[in-house]
Amino acid sequence: MQPLKIGITGVRGVVGETLTPELVVRFAEAFGAYLDGGRILVCRDPRPSGPMVQAAVTAGLLSVGCEVVDLGICPTPSLQLAVPWHRASGGISITGGHNPPEWNALKFVRDDGLYLSAEQGDELLDVFHQGVDDRAGWEEVKSTVREEDAIAQHLEMLSTVFADDALRLRRLRVAVDCGNGSCALLVPRWLEALGCEVLPINDDPSLPFPRLPEPGVATASQARALVRAGNADLGLVLDADGERLSLVDETGQAFSEEVTLPLAVEAALCRRSGPVVTNVCTTARVDRVAERHGARVVRTPVGQAFVSEAIVEHGAVIGGEGNGGVAVPEVHPTHDSAAAIGLLLRHLANEVRPLSALVADLPTLVVRKLAVPVPPRAIYSALAELREAVGEVEGATVDHTDGVKVLWPDGWVHVRASNTQSLVRIIAEADEAARAQELLDWARERLKA
Amino acid sequence: MRPIPTLKISVSGVRGVVGDSLTPEMVSRFAQALGTYVGGGRVVIGRDPRTSGEMVRQAVVAGLVSSGCRVSDLGVCPTPTVQLLVRELGASGGIAITASHNPPEWNALKFVGGDGLFLSAARGRELLDIYHQGDYVKAPGAAQRPPDQIPDAVDRHVRAVVSGIGRLPEGAPPLKAVVDPGGGAASVAAPRLVAALGAAVEAIHTTADGHFPRPAEPVVENLGALRDAVRAHGADVGFAQDMDGDRLAIVDAAGQPIGEELTLVLAAEQVLAHTPGPITTNVATTDAVEAMASRYGVAVNRTRVGEANVAEGMRHAGAVIGGEGNGGVLYPKVNFGRDSLVGMALVLHRLAETGRSVADLAAPYDAYRVVKILRPCPIDRARVLLEKARELWAEHSPDLLDGVKVRLPEGWFIIRPSNTEPVVRVIAEAPTEDAARGLAEQAWTLAAETLDSPGQA
Repeated sequence: MQPLKIGITGVRGVVGETLTPELVVRFAEAFGAYLDGGRILVCRDPRPSGPMVQAAVTAGLLSVGCEVVDLGICPTPSLQLAVPWHRASGGISITGGHNPPEWNALKFVRDDGLYLSAEQGDELLDVFHQGVDDRAGWEEVKSTVREEDAIAQHLEMLSTVFADDALRLRRLRVAVDCGNGSCALLVPRWLEALGCEVLPINDDPSLPFPRLPEPGVATASQARALVRAGNADLGLVLDADGERLSLVDETGQAFSEEVTLPLAVEAALCRRSGPVVTNVCTTARVDRVAERHGARVVRTPVGQAFVSEAIVEHGAVIGGEGNGGVAVPEVHPTHDSAAAIGLLLRHLANEVRPLSALVADLPTLVVRKLAVPVPPRAIYSALAELREAVGEVEGATVDHTDGVKVLWPDGWVHVRASNTQSLVRIIAEADEAARAQELLDWARERLKA
Repeated sequence: MRPIPTLKISVSGVRGVVGDSLTPEMVSRFAQALGTYVGGGRVVIGRDPRTSGEMVRQAVVAGLVSSGCRVSDLGVCPTPTVQLLVRELGASGGIAITASHNPPEWNALKFVGGDGLFLSAARGRELLDIYHQGDYVKAPGAAQRPPDQIPDAVDRHVRAVVSGIGRLPEGAPPLKAVVDPGGGAASVAAPRLVAALGAAVEAIHTTADGHFPRPAEPVVENLGALRDAVRAHGADVGFAQDMDGDRLAIVDAAGQPIGEELTLVLAAEQVLAHTPGPITTNVATTDAVEAMASRYGVAVNRTRVGEANVAEGMRHAGAVIGGEGNGGVLYPKVNFGRDSLVGMALVLHRLAETGRSVADLAAPYDAYRVVKILRPCPIDRARVLLEKARELWAEHSPDLLDGVKVRLPEGWFIIRPSNTEPVVRVIAEAPTEDAARGLAEQAWTLAAETLDSPGQA
């Protein structure tokens, strides 16, 4: 049985196993009660369990007196922008994000369009565990309203932010693999609006996912082939709900999703210097790029809610995570692959150089990763024991922002529990491959799991 | 006295008050139980226009899809439309989301089997076991399918009635009907059917937004607007339906209700006149059924109260027509469920064929006066009450098929707990309304006294 993850990022599980309609109903009721009713926007990504989960969400929200606005299949960032526009009290995005198709999840958005903060997530869990008993009677119970315009409004917002450069981008040929996710309804249109020549693939959300929805080298093969066959300037690999992005250059070489943020930081800081926000386990290439521009990097625990909160708090000009999620605060302080595309293409057009050259210009560091499966009953104890075992390290800094991170002058290693799966993730980065592996092994030896 | 619980889970479905006992979580469990019970396949759903209908529908969809069913969603439609479409679509079952005649704060699920009949008591019990065990089929996410919307369900229903019963005969005197669907599920279907049959139609109370323009039950005291409209339009007949379109009441050309007990009698007469055969009704329905049936020399068999019981009894008896005294008509040739559209079609044909008025057709049954009273009573007290009633009238050898039915020289009465609400119903029949009411009140008083006597309550 696959695990169920109930945490501050929402509730996530496998449909047909742990993510049952009853559980979803109760979570939606708790969320509606937590927000004290009002209008709630609901969207989903196109995975086949979406309609079931959406029906359960809708039933739960209506039961506690919310008015439900149904955005249908729609990227999560489009919903996040639409929440304040509709003066809604919140939103629920039903998406397994980068998880395989059998997964699904609820992501909770508050009235300003950002995810619930960690504290709010905790409060929601308390409401969920306590159960809801204040329901709408027959005269208060509301109905569902269908809303078709969220994606068009998102496009309008993006056009406003990136408008002045549209003409210069006219000649870019862009291959895009939408993975049959909700982005198929947004990104090709956005590329056209930017004046690009679009070579789309897997752009039909009614078809099954042709690959895993997690952008990166492993999922880039179709985008690579399309770039080569179509002689494109670059390729884009998207996740299922519009948050994450990885890149393919004009030669058909695919880059790790870890490259997306450093390049976006470079693109943003070239125009305007200011603070950069990312999480503790994202590549130090971010710091090196920021250094070039004299910008400061703020590190947060892992998770979009923390990154968004810090972007707002520090007035950051760019933010994101190593998973390919980039937030462009001029659009909104939350991961939005369409906004990232606007930023990156504008940069590419301004530089008048190929993507391969821009990536080659980024500082190089080597990453090593390891995922250790740990049963849910042992995962947090294993991390606590690791913290004890590591203690103080001579010549290094130990950071407990999220999990355990140890930073040496020539590299770092970070160990934490996955927010979404029953795994402990170890990630190490150094100038040299051997040193990165050494740091990874150093942490693995100390993890009793 | 402790509050009377509003949740009623029984073999005829689950019924509760929205915002109180009828939660989406429970509804989704029931839908999963049905999906598990019918073993997947297609399940047809429809709802009446209650304000809570959308909430309940979403929970039903979630539960059915989760248990591996393909959902065909008919939207707002009469309950008999769900039953009909289960058979037309070859579905493995159906769920009608309706609390039929209950006030607007209620809602309920009624379960339909693959044969288009409500689940029988035995099958209902099996479903309840699955519900309580909680071990529902969980279809893998990748195998789940979104619901299909069936936008023309009401039209298909109207077509089925017209093709099963026929248009009104050519050359017959033109008929005009006023329909009063009570803002219920038949608000679209009722006027459309009358027009399709070839009669002129006027309609009132067709705004189906869940705010009832009159109480849902089509009983005499709720038919004021229809009576006025029939007179104002000079119509030949008025038809009133309940919230989910399974029950039918009839008003004559003078605006006078003939009483819902006679709906079955008039409709059945049309069928027996052409195809004589057994007729089935429940034990609490008027003796006018026997009076009418004897004219055609056919047998009447009586069942326990409830559509599922009557339908089952009809199948055993090979009945050509059946129904209940609440205005429910079952005509298996068209639909194996109580269907107000079928009732309207049969009565209009009766009028057209005989050229007689409603009042004239009802006149032979003038001395069958039924009075129904109901009294709040929790289920545990109702059980005690029945035991006492059995003892109290033991010397009259009561009929115990359902509740306690007693025949006295002046008439008969039956005391039984409702299947759907925490109430006890007393129904009495006598040659005059006053006599019937006296009989009912007297029976209730005697029975209730046994509860209130010291040491008994």
